[in-house]
Amino acid sequence: MPGVVIAVDTDDRMREIIVKVTEVPIRVGLADDDVLLREGLASLLERSGFEVVGQSADAPGLVALVRERRPELVIVDIRMPPGHSTEGLDAARQIRSEFPDIAVLVLSAHAEVEHAMDLLAGGQRSGYLLKSRVIDVEDFIETLKRLVRGASVVDPALVAELVSARRVDDPLDVLSPRERQVLGLMAEGRSNSGISTELFVAEGTVEKHVRSILMKLRLPETDDMHRRVLAVLAFLGAR
Amino acid sequence: MAQDPPEASSRHGEEQDAPRRVAASTGDLSDAVIQTLAEESPDAIVVVDVQGRLAWGNRQAEQLFGYGRAELLGQEVELLLPEGVQKAHLAHRAAYMENPRTRPMGVGLDLKARRRDGTTFPVEISLTPLSTDSGDMVIATVRDISERQTITGEQAALRRVATLVARGVPPEDTFAAVTAEAGRVLDADFTSLARYDPDGRVTLLAAWTGTGDPWPVPVGSRWDLGGGNLSTLVSRTRQPARLDGFGDDIGLWAADVLTLGVHSAVAVPISVEGRLWGLISVFSNHEQPLPAGTEARLAGFTQLVATAIANAQARVELRGFAEEQAALRRVATLVARGTPPEEVFAAVTAEAGRVLGVDFTTLSRYHPDGAMTIVGAWSRSGGPVHFPIGTRLPAGRNLHTQVFRTRQPGRLDTIVGDLGPALAPALAAGVRTGVGVPITVEGQLWGVIISSSTREEPLPSDTEARLAGFTELVATAIANAQARVELRRVAEEQTALRRVATLVAQGVSPEEVFAAVTEEVGRVLGVDYTAMSRYEPDSARKVVAAWARSGSPVVPVGTQELLGGPNVPTAVFETGRPARIDRYGENAGPAAVAAIAAGVRSAVGVPIRVEGQLWGLMNVYSTQEERLPESTEARLAGFTELVATAIANAEARAALTASRARIVATADATRWRIERDLHDSAQQRLVSLALQLRAAQATVAPDAGELAGRLDDVATGLGAALDELREIARGIHPAALAEGGLRPALKALARRSAVPVRLDVRVDERLPEQVELAAYYAVAEALTNTAKHAAASEIDVAVQAGQGGLRIEVRDDGHGGATFAHGSGLVGLKDRVEALGGQFILRSPPGAGTAMAISLPLDDAGRRLR
Repeated sequence: MPGVVIAVDTDDRMREIIVKVTEVPIRVGLADDDVLLREGLASLLERSGFEVVGQSADAPGLVALVRERRPELVIVDIRMPPGHSTEGLDAARQIRSEFPDIAVLVLSAHAEVEHAMDLLAGGQRSGYLLKSRVIDVEDFIETLKRLVRGASVVDPALVAELVSARRVDDPLDVLSPRERQVLGLMAEGRSNSGISTELFVAEGTVEKHVRSILMKLRLPETDDMHRRVLAVLAFLGAR
Repeated sequence: MAQDPPEASSRHGEEQDAPRRVAASTGDLSDAVIQTLAEESPDAIVVVDVQGRLAWGNRQAEQLFGYGRAELLGQEVELLLPEGVQKAHLAHRAAYMENPRTRPMGVGLDLKARRRDGTTFPVEISLTPLSTDSGDMVIATVRDISERQTITGEQAALRRVATLVARGVPPEDTFAAVTAEAGRVLDADFTSLARYDPDGRVTLLAAWTGTGDPWPVPVGSRWDLGGGNLSTLVSRTRQPARLDGFGDDIGLWAADVLTLGVHSAVAVPISVEGRLWGLISVFSNHEQPLPAGTEARLAGFTQLVATAIANAQARVELRGFAEEQAALRRVATLVARGTPPEEVFAAVTAEAGRVLGVDFTTLSRYHPDGAMTIVGAWSRSGGPVHFPIGTRLPAGRNLHTQVFRTRQPGRLDTIVGDLGPALAPALAAGVRTGVGVPITVEGQLWGVIISSSTREEPLPSDTEARLAGFTELVATAIANAQARVELRRVAEEQTALRRVATLVAQGVSPEEVFAAVTEEVGRVLGVDYTAMSRYEPDSARKVVAAWARSGSPVVPVGTQELLGGPNVPTAVFETGRPARIDRYGENAGPAAVAAIAAGVRSAVGVPIRVEGQLWGLMNVYSTQEERLPESTEARLAGFTELVATAIANAEARAALTASRARIVATADATRWRIERDLHDSAQQRLVSLALQLRAAQATVAPDAGELAGRLDDVATGLGAALDELREIARGIHPAALAEGGLRPALKALARRSAVPVRLDVRVDERLPEQVELAAYYAVAEALTNTAKHAAASEIDVAVQAGQGGLRIEVRDDGHGGATFAHGSGLVGLKDRVEALGGQFILRSPPGAGTAMAISLPLDDAGRRLR
């Protein structure tokens, strides 16, 4: 079987190095009832060095495919037959319960907080993106790799919506604009290094901001990125 | 004897009053003829010399005075005069001789002459002076005027009686005058006048005695006919009768008369209008029987008496008639004025009693069993009547029962046997006879008027007929009063129907109409309970409205009962027609249990049909003995029609509302789906396109920089288009709504709002799609509106689901003053909300912010009947 079996508790960094070193293509499973889009996505992934091990047009097909092929990553449309509502989420949940190591990316035409939270509650390696993100190829691929490495991903547009919501007596008022920026990136699932890269600041500065933010917002300090994302998302969603 | 009219002799006297010389011989007639003339003259002629001695007398003088000629000659003329005037005559004679003329003697005086036997008689005397060789003489012609005076006297007597009669003197006074005049004229010793009574007895009405002594039998006495007396004879023969001697068999009465020394008697019948009414009798003590002409001479008097009586009777009748007419007119006036029946009853009993001359009059109403209750009573004495108003007298062997059974007038002429204890007061009050006449109102026997008297005599035979005039007026009064009651009842019913119709027209909810109708029907029909029920599937009925005159309704609103059994709701359900029960039996079925327990005796039910379909029924209950009137079903029909209209209207309105709601919801859903699909498929297409573009880009050679650049631009453009598309779609179709419900969708709305929104959503369960959509769009529109117009710093949105529906409140602290004016955006929101059967209330006082309260119905059932 191609690919590398990597222990669950390996450091993300290590994984990144290992993957980069081995250059083994990431095995992906696709599920979307729109053939055109699915094929387009498939060729994009292939071009980008992924190996598409299977495609399905519905959730049961995806589950079967996953069981059979054990991809490392699954990309699934949230809305699929027969009900065209949240079949993708349900499939994601099912896959996560059986194969907790498989990264799942749910694509949606609309970004809904509840779905994001629902998905991320299933554990790390969960991602929730707007469908239109696939166009921005570089970012998209980068995000996929991040996801496979263990991050949690939330579409920036969704986060932007959450953060920009106007509030009287806004609890975010205690944050500085920079802190707000950092908060947003935290909500997207970025790691501190990711944030520092994004903002062109030192990682130490980011850590400082992060600590400040967590304290000001009375959120639990945690090194677990996933938990952090959840906490921030929950905070923003409740605001 | 020929009677010279007195005028002739005076005329003669005027023409020639100088003394006449008698020629010794005359050329016209021979002496012998003249001698015969004088001798045979029907008048008595005497010649008196200057000394007053009779010188000659003719035959008539002899006869008249009763002297032979020889006895007369040489006597003083005073011999022929009554003693009392002799002395005066001497003087007159002397005066005459001084101035002798031919003239009547003693003009203006009642002259009397004297016969030989001393009796006097009335005379007329005329004197003619004569101068002879032997000296002056006077020829006196004497005429006996007894008969003339008798006849004149009779005429005068008759005239006097006639005057009394003409003056309208009461007959009793006429009787006394007649007996006196007749007695005097006929020169009788006694006269009497008596009347024949219907019971075969004779009543003495007047009596006269020439001497002035009292009649042995008092006036007013009555005796039986029988025997050989005058009254019996006359009554049998109807002809005049006379008794010239009295035999043994003369009857008790005559025995008294005999004590007067009567020897002969004549009686003449008095007939009034062809009927034998009575008789006049004259009696004489003379040995000789009464002259033969007595009967004829009495006839004039009997005719006058008959006339007097007839006149009096006629006058009485007329007066009685006039009185009766006046009484009837007074009563009729009361009736025409619409006086309450009780007053009419009182007036009738008094007027009838007075007109008929009875002692008591009562007016009563019959009960179905023949008993009667007194409703009017009058007593001649003015005191309380032995049966006061309100007394109930049972049926029995009595007058009112007789009238009740026969429906004809009846009378009790004598009281025989026991009338029952109930009528004892009447007997105690002295009632002996009575007449009863039925009162019939519009063909139905209603009651009776009874007039009673304490006299022995039965009431006159025309009493029934005369009472009938009054009973007719009473019947009219009662019928009028009944008609007025009926009219009032009809007017009340019309008013009640109008009130209900107004409610229906106002579009009041059917429940209110039901409640109003059950109450109006109950009042108008005067029943004890009413109820309105709807027929449910599975043969049951559900009570939707109920009313009770007092206390709680028989069946409370909301009760559901199974149909079945002999009761009204079941009957109406099965036949689809009105039904009634006049007496509940056992096992009347579940739908009747409550009614029976409440003491209901009879019930009537009428179906309610809505657009031809049997919908339910209305029924009324009565606890009275008497069954509900026949007209109940018909009267209920008017109300049930209104109810059916109200229901049909409400259902139509509900259907209309539901269809509007459906239209709106369908439009919303359609729009939602179309837009979602549009967006989603557009997005899909764009994403696919972009992917293709990327793929194309990947194949572009590295040196085709421009192309790669252009492709990149396109991709960027696509990305931008996708972003824009997403932005647009976010507001239009809330995907979160379908997937997550109101809470996540509203939260998203709130986040995106330009004005901070404080959200309080207390809806956790999913609601019907159209409700959620409606709520979402409502909040979205409200937020948009507020952001656009209100200049607010914060918006409060509260959403709550409860019994009344979904309640949404949106409040802002802006400048207020929002209206439904065109272009304000709120009118569209209001329309949408109301089309869905909801309510939209806006409060936006200027300067005080805006508050919107929206409620949306959650259930179909509530919507249907609203």
